[in-house]
Amino acid sequence: MSWDKDIDEIKQRRTLAKQQGGEEAVKLHHDKGRLTIRERVDTLLDKNSFDEVGEGAGVPEYDDEGKLKDFQPANFVLGFGQIDGRKVIVGGEDFTVRGGSPNPAGLRKSVYTEKLALQYKVPLIRLHEGGGGSVGGTNKEKNRRPLGEPVFSQSRFVPLAQTLSAVPVASAALGPVAGLPAARLVASHFTVMTQNAAVLIAGPQVVKRALGHDMTKEELGGPQVHLSSGAIDNLAEDEADAMAQIRRFLSFLPDNAWHYPEKLPCTDKADRCEDSLADIVPTNRRQPFQMRKIIEAVVDRDGDGSSFFEMSRKYGPSLITGLARLDGESVGIIGNDCMYYAGAMTAAAAQKLRRFADFCNSFNLPIVSFVDEPGFMIGPDSEQAGTIRHGTAAISAVLQSRVPWASVQVLKAFGVAAQAHFGPDGYVLSWPSAASGALPVEGGVAVAFAREIAAAEDPAARQKELEDMLAASQSPFPRAEGLSVHEIIDPRETRPKLISWLRLAVAAMQTQPPVPYMTGMRP
Amino acid sequence: MQVKSEIAGSVWKIIAETGADIAADDVIVILESMKMEIPLVAPKAGKLKEIHVSEGDMVGEGQLIATLD
Repeated sequence: MSWDKDIDEIKQRRTLAKQQGGEEAVKLHHDKGRLTIRERVDTLLDKNSFDEVGEGAGVPEYDDEGKLKDFQPANFVLGFGQIDGRKVIVGGEDFTVRGGSPNPAGLRKSVYTEKLALQYKVPLIRLHEGGGGSVGGTNKEKNRRPLGEPVFSQSRFVPLAQTLSAVPVASAALGPVAGLPAARLVASHFTVMTQNAAVLIAGPQVVKRALGHDMTKEELGGPQVHLSSGAIDNLAEDEADAMAQIRRFLSFLPDNAWHYPEKLPCTDKADRCEDSLADIVPTNRRQPFQMRKIIEAVVDRDGDGSSFFEMSRKYGPSLITGLARLDGESVGIIGNDCMYYAGAMTAAAAQKLRRFADFCNSFNLPIVSFVDEPGFMIGPDSEQAGTIRHGTAAISAVLQSRVPWASVQVLKAFGVAAQAHFGPDGYVLSWPSAASGALPVEGGVAVAFAREIAAAEDPAARQKELEDMLAASQSPFPRAEGLSVHEIIDPRETRPKLISWLRLAVAAMQTQPPVPYMTGMRP
Repeated sequence: MQVKSEIAGSVWKIIAETGADIAADDVIVILESMKMEIPLVAPKAGKLKEIHVSEGDMVGEGQLIATLD
């Protein structure tokens, strides 16, 4: 007697499991221009680093003689692996088996993903393509009465929510993603979707029956919807690009909330001064400028490009958010984009900022803010969107920050919304172009001095005179005199000044052991 | 190809001429929004088939501004 037969069966089961939904289903999937889940995992991870969990989970089929004939694998592939030599956990639905809608073993593996990430405190990546539950349930046995989960069982959303305070979570939508997988997709710090993916609460047929809308999956939840809805952060050209973006995102982050981000060797000079910054802001305040060029000129260069990795560009586009390296340290970057509503804070920009500030605090990333804030967006649409509440929540998130903050006031810092750009005990630099106050002169003078202007002999001339006078009072020089900023600087000095501060700030932060970031309710 | 405004505002100046060949990033119109002059540029090169707005018009987010061939 020996165990040879059983050992052979293990091998056979593993081979059958790798066939996924079968040759035909895999071909159909490839014909749609999509990779299978196993190919995705291989594209994402360092070569040969995948260490699968639950490879043997599935349903065997035996012939009349009791010999293994076939094996339907769990349609969720799960395992550990490495990205740039660092341990991660990765999981994703196998669309070639039941369209990714969970079979019983697949469901068990999928709900185990977050628990494993929490247990081993490693970054989590989910590669989604699949539907949620079916009205028929996950078990296809006929006449089986649905018993439900035991009343004392823990909801799968508990670990799902806990991961966000514990480990970096990045997810991709690589095809249709609906129901529970869609909820898991967005329970992430970073989400990316491919052109041919769609993210849906419910698919077209359900929507048509309930609401009468006759729409395709893509119309309901394609990239053009979800990049601006904020459900998805970034668009990927293809699946390889989606994986590359996830790898890049994770490169800025520590393994978990109990570690600080790693400082990398930096080849860019700390004292590099960029001449282009001296006159990048037009003296005519009606003329816009490119805040991204300022950010890219200041942060570390990365080869021929910049280390700046932007996230959520299309959502709340008046605010720029992203990650970068400065002196080799990971930092969170925020900046106003005056090409959209002069950079005003909309409800979406405020939600984006709140989320981003919480994210940076969760993983101890210092924040550098490039400020050109004219105030909250005004007007009926903005009021209807509840901008004041979302904006106040963003300000609370910023001012409850525990990470080091630096703010470079490039141009405007007006109104209540300006508060959202200056963290507690922050380091504040001011460019000569900076202007601060309750209201921008252009908008404020006509209102505050309406009677005086109307009564003047030449109202237009009086308005101009008042505007010039008040613009002078918004100058940064008196603020520097009163130490209401740390320094007023030549814009070219921005990088060296920030790096001097960052070295002090990071050393001070790291005197305390990092612990997860928990906050209470926000407005 | 349709070129749409990503912001609400008014049309301050029309820069490009209908029928002209324009390069990517060439300015088609300048919008005024929140007291700033915001250029609307061509996302790619092409012939400017039609400009659908006039100077002074109010435009909304997502409104069609020009058509490129």
